[in-house]
This record gives sequence, C-alpha cells and structure tokens, in this order.
Amino acid sequence: MSTDRTILIIDDDIDLVEILRMTLENEGFRVIDAQSGQRGLDAARDQHPDLILLDVMMGAVDEGFQVAYVLRGDEATRDIPILMLTAVTDQTGFGFDPAKDQDFLPVDEFLEKPVSPRMLVDLVRKHLPAQA
Amino acid sequence: MTTVPALLDEPSSHFVSAASLRRRLVWFDKLRWAAVVGALCATAVATRVLPSSLPTGELLAVTGVLAVLNTVYTIRNRRVPPTRLPVELMHVKLQMAGDLVLLTVMLNLSGGIENPLLYLYLVHVIIASLLFKGRDVFHIAGLAIVLFTADVAGEYFHILPHHHLLSAGPITHEPPFILLTLGAFCLVQLVAAYIGSTIMKHNRAIKDELVDRQKELLAADRAKLEFFRFVTHEIKSPVATAQSAVDAVLELKGLELPEKVRDLLERAVNRLGHALTMIKDLAEFTRGGDVKRETMETVDLNVLIARITDQLSEEASRRNITVTMDLPPDQPYMLGNPGMLQKIVSNLVSNAVRYSEDGGQVNILLRMDPGVVVLTVSDRGIGIAPEDQGRVFDEFYRTSQAQQMSNLGTGLGLPIVRRFTEQMGGTIELQSEPGRGSTFTLRLPRQDLPSGSRETS
Repeated sequence: MSTDRTILIIDDDIDLVEILRMTLENEGFRVIDAQSGQRGLDAARDQHPDLILLDVMMGAVDEGFQVAYVLRGDEATRDIPILMLTAVTDQTGFGFDPAKDQDFLPVDEFLEKPVSPRMLVDLVRKHLPAQA
Repeated sequence: MTTVPALLDEPSSHFVSAASLRRRLVWFDKLRWAAVVGALCATAVATRVLPSSLPTGELLAVTGVLAVLNTVYTIRNRRVPPTRLPVELMHVKLQMAGDLVLLTVMLNLSGGIENPLLYLYLVHVIIASLLFKGRDVFHIAGLAIVLFTADVAGEYFHILPHHHLLSAGPITHEPPFILLTLGAFCLVQLVAAYIGSTIMKHNRAIKDELVDRQKELLAADRAKLEFFRFVTHEIKSPVATAQSAVDAVLELKGLELPEKVRDLLERAVNRLGHALTMIKDLAEFTRGGDVKRETMETVDLNVLIARITDQLSEEASRRNITVTMDLPPDQPYMLGNPGMLQKIVSNLVSNAVRYSEDGGQVNILLRMDPGVVVLTVSDRGIGIAPEDQGRVFDEFYRTSQAQQMSNLGTGLGLPIVRRFTEQMGGTIELQSEPGRGSTFTLRLPRQDLPSGSRETS
C-alpha cells in the first residue's frame, strides 16, 4: 500500500475535491486540497506533496496553466508531477494533444472530466515518483 | 425607408454596390455591341429597301464612334477593378449620356421625327430606372427630351439638315404633327420614368427590408448558438461532477453495496454518461469548426481512419461486425482541421457500426480524386426510410428505428457531420433503403499542401 504519499488537489470545485479525496484516500493516499491557485502554490511549497492534481480552469480561463508554470519554475516544486484536470477541450476550442504540446505544457498528463476513479488511481500510481 | 445598419461594406440604400453596378456595366457593354450590330443591319436594310437616300456614310461613321467608345468602355469595365459606388455611378451616367447623344445623331441622320425608332430613348429610361434612384431617372428622361426636342427644333428651323426617311412629304414640317409627336414623346418618357422609378423604389424598399430581416435572423441564430454554448458549458460541470461522484462510490474498494443500490447507482451513471455525451456533442455543434488557415494541418486520412476503426473494433468484434476498408495505397494527405475531420469520419463510421445488425458489414472506401476527397461509408444495417432521409441531418432528429435500435444516439452526430462538412466547403450525400443499409458519401475539397508542411497525424 502506498501509505504516506501525499497528493495535493488544487481545484475550486469543492464537490469534485471531495469525490477525488474519497477515491484517493480509499487507496491509502493522504490528500490535501486548495481551492485557489495561490493557496495551491503555497501548499505545494510548504508541504511538498508527492503529486499534484491541478484543475485547468479555476477563476480565470488559464489559471491552472499559470499555476503549473509557476510550479515548474520554482526550485522547490519543480520535481512534483502534475496531473491536469481539464474540461476545457469542449469549451474554448483549444484542444490539447499531450503528445504534441508536451514541450510547452509543463504538466505530465491530462485527465478529462469526468474522471473515472480507476483511471485516476492508475495515473496517480504511474506518475508518482518511486518511493525513496 | 428603413435605414441599413453600418455593417455593410458599402452603402447600399438602393441596393447597388460598386461591384454589382460593375456587373451591370459589363452587361451594358454587351447590349451596346448588340446596338452596334443592330445599327449596321438597319442601315444596310434601309439603304436597300427605302426609296429615300439616307446618308449611309455618316450613319456608319456614328456607328463606328459607338463601336470605338464601347471598346474603350469594355476594356475599362473589365480591366479596372471597381472602386467606389459614386465613381461607378458617374461612369454609368456618362456612358448613358453619350449613348443618348449618339442616338440623337443617328435619329437626325435617319429622318428625325419621322423615325419610329425614337422610342429607343425609352430603353434608356427603363435601364436608368433599374439603376438609379428617382431623381437620376428623371435626369436621363429629361436629357432624352432635351436632345430630341433640340434635334426636331433644329431641323424645323433649318439649323440642322433634315433627311427624309420615307418620303419627301411635307408632314414633317407641319407644326401640329411635330407638336403632337413631341408632346406624346415627352409624356411617354416622363410616365415611363415615373412608373419605373416608383416600382423600383418599392422593390428596393422590399429588398432592403429583406436584407435587414436576414441580418436580424442571422443575429438571432448567432445569439441562439451563443446561448446553447453558454448553457452547455454551465451544465457540463455539474453533470460531470455528479457522474464522478456516483462513479467514485461504485468503484470504492471494500464497499459492499446491496445489489439493488448498486443497480440504481449504475443506472444513474449510465444516464449521466448519456447526458454528458449529449452535452459534448452540443458543445461541438455550437462551437462549430475552425476552418481558419492557421488551424489547418496536413492529415493522413489512412492514419485517421485506422485510428477511428481501432476505437470501434471492440464494439465491432463483440457484435461480430466486419469492417472492411478500401484505402489508397500511398499516403492520402489532405489539408484540413484534424479535429473536424476526425469528428466527421468517426461519426459516420460509428453510426454505420451502431446501426448494423449483429454480424453485419461496414465498408469504408476512400478515394483521392483530383481536387476532391471522396469518402464512402456504407453499412447493411437498418437503413433510413425515404421520408426520414431529409431529416436525419436535422438537430436532435432520430428515426424511430434508430431509437428502437439504440438509446445511445444524441441526434447530433449527423448534424455535426453536415455542419463541419459544409464549413470545410464539402458535401455529404445519403443513399439508403430500409432494411438494406445506408451509404454516406462525403466529398471534401482538397487544398494544395503548402510546401514543407509537416505531418502531424
């Protein structure tokens, strides 16, 4: 069991946070959450989680991206894997293609909402760095 | 009069633009050539048939002038691009005034008031009423009256020579005859100008109104799409979250749910999933495709089709449906929006699979013709009744057979296909027979690949 691995969820949809929390805690992860980009950045720096689930669109259209850039640019958080939750594909018309956009999108994986619990757990496991 | 909003490229309060006026001008050039030929024929016939001797040389000379002028007009009207409406209008008026002067000279040479062809002036008034607004029409009619009266008066007072058309009879110098003819002429010109300009004024008002109405309709349609888009976006999040919630409960390890509860939750997930599919389709539909040059990519259609059939292979093999493909051997590239192409092809192929009976057959045929890509997707499934064939491309329309067969459809698949196809400048065609299957034929224009284009699919 992957005990003691901490996952930070940055999402302003508290319902979704609770859903993800239930699934992840049930798998033995520790879950912390932040309801805004700024609080997410603070939490990432202070608590250095093992993985971050980041919602692409909070207050502003691209707040998630901005948070991801800051995380990648900061020495303290650079190495934390980021899974990005999107619903944006249907909305603004800029479709993501991770294979193509990876060079300039600083995240490890995209997950389109609604997220299937099994896929979420699989991807979290896949991207968690090997336990020290 | 309704005022036309300033959205239009050009002021077209009487429904003429520089470009449309230019088309008329080109048409007039052709009419004028006909007039040149007509004048030549009439002169030839007149010199042979009529007892009097007309000044053939002069008549031919005037016709020659008309021909030269028309050559100049024709070259100008074809070579110089139309600029502004007032400039074009000025040209029309000048050309028309020149035509009237030449007509007057021709009439002078061929009998003046004796010549019944004086009613050719009417042609100009009619044309003017088609082109101009009220006052200008009367200018043309007035110019015709002035020119013709001047000629008649000049001949009467022996300032201008009079050439007899029929006989040397004295009637042409009888004031009552002259005054009667001139009066009738003026009356007809003015009445024609009045009727023509009045009718056209009404026509233009109607046309302007139609344009306004159409603009309103287009704006309303855009507003409707905008509203759909907004609602779609607002609804998607809660539905997705609700589905995730139920999903999370169902997938929770170590949770023993009573069977009845699990069954109900699964039903809920299915319904929410269906709603989400519809929301996504709606989002796709209302967003519309992006056909801007920047979003175009070189797409290998074989790869695209392979990827789509791959996604459907599970359903196909579960239901024992054979999917055969007839694809061109060399890589069939086309320039287009990959997302739109993907959506078009996948909707067609997944429909073919969905509405096939178990054990059925689906065939995909791709042909790269010069300038056009032809994709044919055919199945031997339930088919579409003739009365439904026109409607399956309508939003949310599902045939009753389709509804019986599958509750998965949203009624948006084919509308999306049609919309995207049209946005890409293509066509979609349907042939179907109930019980025998359907064949959809997609034709998309093939754009030339830019040099050095990258392959992305």
